[in-house]
Amino acid sequence: MSAETTAPLLVLLTLPFMQRALLAGLLSGAVGGLLGSVAVLRQLSFFSDALGHAALLGITLGVLLGLDPTLVLVPFAVLFALLVNLMVERSRLSADALLNIVYSSSLAIAVLVLSRFPRAGGGLQQLLFGDILGVSWRDLALMAAMLVAAVIGLVLNRRAQILLCVDEPLARSRGISADRQRLLFVVALAVVVALSIKAVGVLLISAFVVIPASAARLLARSFSSYQLLASGLGAAGAVIGLLASAAFNLPSGPAVVLVQLLGFLLALLLSACGWAGAAARAESPDPGC
Amino acid sequence: MGETILEVSHLSVRRGGQPVVDDVSFALTPETDTALVGPNGAGKSTLVQALLGLIPRQGGSVRLLGHALGARGQLPAAVRDQIAYLPQQFSPRGRLPLTVAEFVALGGVPPRQERQAVARALALCAAQGLERRLLSELSAGQLKRVLLAFCVVRPRRLLVLDEAQAGLDPQAAEQFHALVFDLRRSQGWTVLQVSHDLEMVRRSCDRVLCLNRTLRCQGAPAHALSTAQLERLYGKGFVPYQHHHQALQP
Repeated sequence: MSAETTAPLLVLLTLPFMQRALLAGLLSGAVGGLLGSVAVLRQLSFFSDALGHAALLGITLGVLLGLDPTLVLVPFAVLFALLVNLMVERSRLSADALLNIVYSSSLAIAVLVLSRFPRAGGGLQQLLFGDILGVSWRDLALMAAMLVAAVIGLVLNRRAQILLCVDEPLARSRGISADRQRLLFVVALAVVVALSIKAVGVLLISAFVVIPASAARLLARSFSSYQLLASGLGAAGAVIGLLASAAFNLPSGPAVVLVQLLGFLLALLLSACGWAGAAARAESPDPGC
Repeated sequence: MGETILEVSHLSVRRGGQPVVDDVSFALTPETDTALVGPNGAGKSTLVQALLGLIPRQGGSVRLLGHALGARGQLPAAVRDQIAYLPQQFSPRGRLPLTVAEFVALGGVPPRQERQAVARALALCAAQGLERRLLSELSAGQLKRVLLAFCVVRPRRLLVLDEAQAGLDPQAAEQFHALVFDLRRSQGWTVLQVSHDLEMVRRSCDRVLCLNRTLRCQGAPAHALSTAQLERLYGKGFVPYQHHHQALQP
């Protein structure tokens, strides 16, 4: 980074909207990574993507009714989570097929509504890719509250969630209700996704959940380090991405996702080298990587 | 009259409208080793899952350690803590970032005693030294021993094994069986195990339950595994013990 870009960046950091954006990135990145650590292992990561796309319908309804989209989005997301969970429980179809049906239908309805009421789609670009620079102090307070709630929820249900990640029949033999735990988790994920959409956007929200957790999964050597790493990578990726977007005048949401992608590729490389190194040490004196 | 660890009465399970387990009754007394045998599709795993409350039953009752199992598998936590189950299929998903020590601790120990209890359980199951390995890095034999350590990390009274030796080579299966046999004696467990290894059952189990949808016979191995009973269970022309262990007749 040259001196020409550093000086305006330092000035930007003194501005309240940039400070709020960095805090929002830190919070949404950390909580996305934390919930993502379980979602990825329980193969629920597609849920966040589906919810993000379906949220467009919730936002459209909010705009049409003249309500604050954030206030509409939380109950909409929870309702969506309950509906999908019920369908997964009751139908014999796989979760990914059901999610695909529900989210593509929601997206189609939202686009049809937007085509009939163009005024509702005024901020469509911001909805799709997020507007982290427009985050308010109220949004930040909600994000902080959800981070605390997510941490408490995961700590209280840690044993159940880990056992369900390991083996569901084994977990159920220990008296753990897989259905109840899945319901609790998808509702928590729904609330987090709903509150993060304003900052991250409907198209990029799943990246916040999936990429840091996947990178951490490649590197971690224990479950505790995995969750800490997923949360840390999520937060760090968001902050670095925002700084890069400010320095190079890039759209903030895509910049954050690009930084997370680079982090994932680095983890992939380190993981491959570590594995190749161990294998090579066992077979030949030249470790390769 | 002595205490009964498990009491199954007229248990029936249906799947897709068809009876898979029909009117099964038996009881297990303390510190006995009972084998559940029968051909593939006989309902052995279904019976085991139903009596643990993992799948719903359509009829009958189950009492575990004196407590009735609820219609939806409810059981007081204190009772469930005394029961351990080794499922037939146990294959943690790829690259699961969970160490052996973390996994064994999930068997249920207070955090303060975690380190000591895990070390003791791993030593009992001949799995010491694996504490820091990831679960997904273990061989099939190591995984079975670690799963057993998960079970012994706290005192249990009933151990239910569903084809625990599946996926192991004959030597590893023999070692695993010997380990369970020793632990049963030292820990005072009551064991119910689903098995296809009739020679092992003949050598080490106290009692045999022969299942093919209904209980066809039950009793001591000498009676339940006689040629006549086995032909009734598996069909005419069935030849037991043809694979190995020929030198280990009772």
